[in-house]
Amino acid sequence: MKKKIFLYLLSLCLFSSCITEDIHDNTPQGNFDALWQAIDTKYCFLDYKHEEYGLDWDEVYRRYSNRLTDDMTKKQLFQVLAEMLEELRDGHVNLVSAHEISQYREWYDQYPTNFIDTIQRIYLGKDYKTTAGIKYQVLEDNIGYIYYGSFSNAIGESNLDEVLNELSICDGLILDIRNNGGGLLTMSETLAARFTNERVLTGYLRYKTGPGHNDFSSPEPVYVEPATDRVRWQKPVAVLTNRHAFSSANDFANKMRQMPNAILIGDKTGGGSGLPFSSELPNGWSIRFSASPIYDPEMNHLEFGIEPDIKVNMTSEDMQRGIDTIIETARIQLKKK
Amino acid sequence: MKRIILGLFFLWACILQANAQKDSIITRSTLYGIGHTNILDTYLSPMEYTGAELRILRENMRKTKYKDGKISRQSMFQAHISMLGNKAGTGSEFYFLANWNLAYHYQFILGENLKLLAGPNLDLNGGMIYNQRNSNNPVNAKTYANLDASGMAIYQFRIKDHPFVLRYQLNVPLIGLMFSPEYGQPYYEMSISKDFGKNICFTSLHNQPAIRQFLTLDFSIKKTNLRLGYVCDIQQAKVNHLKSHAWSHAFMIGFVKHFHLVNPYK
Repeated sequence: MKKKIFLYLLSLCLFSSCITEDIHDNTPQGNFDALWQAIDTKYCFLDYKHEEYGLDWDEVYRRYSNRLTDDMTKKQLFQVLAEMLEELRDGHVNLVSAHEISQYREWYDQYPTNFIDTIQRIYLGKDYKTTAGIKYQVLEDNIGYIYYGSFSNAIGESNLDEVLNELSICDGLILDIRNNGGGLLTMSETLAARFTNERVLTGYLRYKTGPGHNDFSSPEPVYVEPATDRVRWQKPVAVLTNRHAFSSANDFANKMRQMPNAILIGDKTGGGSGLPFSSELPNGWSIRFSASPIYDPEMNHLEFGIEPDIKVNMTSEDMQRGIDTIIETARIQLKKK
Repeated sequence: MKRIILGLFFLWACILQANAQKDSIITRSTLYGIGHTNILDTYLSPMEYTGAELRILRENMRKTKYKDGKISRQSMFQAHISMLGNKAGTGSEFYFLANWNLAYHYQFILGENLKLLAGPNLDLNGGMIYNQRNSNNPVNAKTYANLDASGMAIYQFRIKDHPFVLRYQLNVPLIGLMFSPEYGQPYYEMSISKDFGKNICFTSLHNQPAIRQFLTLDFSIKKTNLRLGYVCDIQQAKVNHLKSHAWSHAFMIGFVKHFHLVNPYK
């Protein structure tokens, strides 16, 4: 009896199946395979980008794996992996090592900057106010101006109450998110909630439910609820965008497009509609990639940016005179309303 | 299925609580330990993280009035925290888990010094793993409840005039419910959908081959009852295409106290 019990316990200890992950070797080939597989199973835009510009992730594997050698240095390996990731054309995709962070920059490098901070300073003057990462001022023609340069700077509800109260005397509001590279998605919601009196459907969110390219959840509607018992803006608002408005700023532009009194002015946004996740390689390098796509209310992708209602670039003549063409266009549009 | 399991848990707790004996000897112990943990959670990273852990374990055992006192009740709470690093030394994770067990064992007396105990165990767990460098997947909650098969062997012996009690226990989850995000589901999505139905997964031996083992030795030094222990805590699951394991081995030391509860109104 004792012997049987002992054998039973021993078998339980020895034969309990272990749950482990197949980890690639820490070699150039192993790290390459780990990165390629992470994107293949977790990246959310492979099929969409195949349709848009013919991205073939299997072909990418063949092309870049030919560049691997057993004796290549870390920096050489990083270069190959970084170039492979650039095939995704995604500003949310980064490879992070101790010596470098890879970044796809063509989404704004190939376009006009459409934002010059020295010219912006002319509009802000010396007596502008600032709170929680927001700069604000009343322009000469009684148009309110808010600059929000990063959604990584969290704004409190009380901050927004104060700012909007201060600008409530204005005829209209310019909300400038140019060069806003994103940050907290919740800040996009918090700010957009000040520009509607009703619940507004602003888009859908999906996520991957498995490693297959088409393993996606059903679309989850995303709504903006009006901020209750808070100051809400009731007058016209112009949201200024450029190619450097990315990620959460792209999401904010999409949300504001659905608001009744809002208009988008400037250049197309930079996109970045995939909520990024992180993972890592056997050699310890970290990777970031888009994992969860956000769509507009018509289920259109926003990954490559949002076209403004009024497309306008800063002209060189205006820039030489210290004039921001996009701000001036917004002032004219707001005065018309 | 999920509702049936929840109902079973509730019924189990109610029935067993009602059978606790009021007048009995309670053995209470508190152990402190250090150990080593190996963590895998593919929601956060495909890599394993390892490091030291700190653990506390509190246990109460008493006989019940059921079956002429042959059924004992064991309540055990343990909590452990770990700071872990990946093999390359570039990433770190923080792991915390609290675990509460309520077991009722039937005693089989196999001789003067040996008895075996067997019975069901309610096994509740709550905790989290935090990865310090991840973006929108920095944390994964660890919340699950199981109905375990629990067994124990207790052997009493003497070396010269000194009494010792050697005990081995194992708990194996048979069925349960586990919270898990889906494969690439951000917690942000859960916050807007507020629908957690798809995140509650049925678990059993096929997708949660877990086991907890305890080995303890009780002895006395003067009038102090001491306990040395070893805990082998193997928690594993594979749900929603996500794999996870937490393999812990900890050595424990602490004190044992015996109380005799008396009802003054009898």
